[in-house]
Amino acid sequence: MAGEKQYLQLYEEHRSLLEQHSCAPMNRHRAAAAGWLREKGLPTQRNEQYKYTDADAAFAPDYGLNLRRVLPEKSPYEAFRCHVPNLSTLVFYMVNDVVCAPLPTQRMPGGVRVLSLCDMAKKKPAFIDEYLHRLAAKADDGVTVLNTLLAQDGWVIHITKGVHLETPIQIVSIQEGHTDLMSNRRVLVVAEEGSDATVLFCHHTAGACRYLSTEVMEAYVHPQARLRLYGVEETGAGSHHFCQTYAEVMQGGRLETGNIHLHGELVRHTSHIRLAEPGAEAEMLAAVVAGDGEHVDHNVLVEHAAEQCTSDMLHKYVLTGKSISAFAGKVLVCPGAQHTLSQQTNANLCASSEARAYSQPMLEIYADDVKCNHGSTTGKLDESALFYMRQRGIAEAEARLLLQHAFVNDVLQRIELAPLRERLAHLVELRFRGELGKCRGCTLCR
Amino acid sequence: MLEIRNLHASVEGKEILRGVNLSIGDGEVHVLMGPNGSGKSTLSHVLVGNPKYTVTEGTVQFNGKDLLALSPEDRSHEGIFMSFQAPVEIPGVSMTNFMRAAVNAKRKYFQQEPVGASDFLKLLREKRQLVGLDAHFMSRGVNEGFSGGERKRNEIFQMAVLEPCFSILDETDSGLDVDALRIVAEGFNKLRTERTSAMVITHYQRMLDYLKPDFVHVLVNGRIVKSGDASLGYAIEERGFDWIKEEIKD
Repeated sequence: MAGEKQYLQLYEEHRSLLEQHSCAPMNRHRAAAAGWLREKGLPTQRNEQYKYTDADAAFAPDYGLNLRRVLPEKSPYEAFRCHVPNLSTLVFYMVNDVVCAPLPTQRMPGGVRVLSLCDMAKKKPAFIDEYLHRLAAKADDGVTVLNTLLAQDGWVIHITKGVHLETPIQIVSIQEGHTDLMSNRRVLVVAEEGSDATVLFCHHTAGACRYLSTEVMEAYVHPQARLRLYGVEETGAGSHHFCQTYAEVMQGGRLETGNIHLHGELVRHTSHIRLAEPGAEAEMLAAVVAGDGEHVDHNVLVEHAAEQCTSDMLHKYVLTGKSISAFAGKVLVCPGAQHTLSQQTNANLCASSEARAYSQPMLEIYADDVKCNHGSTTGKLDESALFYMRQRGIAEAEARLLLQHAFVNDVLQRIELAPLRERLAHLVELRFRGELGKCRGCTLCR
Repeated sequence: MLEIRNLHASVEGKEILRGVNLSIGDGEVHVLMGPNGSGKSTLSHVLVGNPKYTVTEGTVQFNGKDLLALSPEDRSHEGIFMSFQAPVEIPGVSMTNFMRAAVNAKRKYFQQEPVGASDFLKLLREKRQLVGLDAHFMSRGVNEGFSGGERKRNEIFQMAVLEPCFSILDETDSGLDVDALRIVAEGFNKLRTERTSAMVITHYQRMLDYLKPDFVHVLVNGRIVKSGDASLGYAIEERGFDWIKEEIKD
């Protein structure tokens, strides 16, 4: 417990600047966040939730912050132009933690809003008051609290009642700078009753600096709404990314989340998904390809707070080189949450002898009429399959690649939207072949 | 085609093959019989280069090349195919993608362009029909959820696609019912030419009936102890291996 001191000091010294470049609904929670951090600090590995990732150490280096909200030199819409074959998206950019205004040509379908949190706070203060920090406030997590202390802006994605958005929204976050930099973003997604939408978050880094970013997302899925949130991690060496997701799913609503990890030195996802009303559903997917020197940690809590809810978790990790993965998944079935149906699967493929996979599947059940399954496997590449393929003439490296790709492919196959599924499967294949990163920005482009 | 001289091989430090000598000419079918544990499967795996097996002595010439110096994939490209006794499941790798990778790897070895999409599908269709393998197997994972019979049929299908000049059938007949055995054996026979050869491991007379081998060899304790024509196979079917073991003692 020491890493938080520099951030508290920074907050105290620059409080007015920080607040001046943010908005009232965000500023409102900073003092309490500072108090919390002073008392409890950033999580260390002694904290059960962070036993596989030393957050305190990750936050220890001295990073710069863009408190004055300086805009990027070049418009990312030009620098990182996206032409996605078979997948047109409503694309929005964020450079570090600065929201870039969308292109004037960007036409939004009716009933859909994608804008910066600070803009939304001006236009619809009541909306922000209703949703911002409602779920995150309950989190007993130092990283989330640090984000509350320092984040100045972020996104609001609002799908109004009954709107079916066919084109996915794509939020591209790029970390770039001339110095080591920290960014803190806040994201709020609200899918109103009966709506249907897909949001794709792409995380990239550019340049050789070290980056630390935190992101706190709150997602509200109203009755009968369907929301799909996918994240693609394609950050570079020297990038540390902490992603905190808090979601609430109401009656008959469905939330699907998917994390595709292609690159990133340290990536930690903390998710708390609460199935708050009867008939709510959640599917949580992760397909991770961790390369040499990478560390990927997923900590997922699914809370079945009402009866007849369904959750399905499938996390698969392929580890190459000297990489580390950690999966801690907990299904909590609260008293009264009868007829819960839950499935939790974690599978790890250690493709090198230096790779380490930690797996902690957990069930905590306080209702007696439920069906909950969980399982975890960790293994090496199937040598007999490898030889079978070589006997058919497939070179060893190619055979390894096919086996590794196949291992995570069943996760990708769960993605319903065909063009997105195919693009992501293609990206994963490029990743295995070492052909990613030819394009400076979003690799969905080429 | 194949010249095996004084071949010794071991697995996990245990010597299994203790000096195998065998010549197989173009167009010939040789049947290998022998009691369990005599080294039949080991010989097959050594020939295709399974890294679990270590060759400790001897040479193998294949069409004039030093076979033992080649990687498993290059042996495949040079025309050696093995129908596995227990074909593995490869979930997530579809049969189509698997076969495309195999066909294109061979084409690359011979400096040819990758096969075109329509030609490839035509090839698969043609070869599937040869062994009566339904189209829906092509979109499934390799051997994933295949029955024992379907797996063996799939082996012969792959053999048909890859067109090897030397095939090893390691107990391809085991676990097959009468009809499946006929389909597999007939499929194999259709692929035979004057220039293709095979080494077939079997325990059954029925396979001898279908294949009409040129030679039958008996392997005991890692050595070929007796060779003859098809009649030797029928004699073993009738009398077992004990009389051969007795002969060796004498």
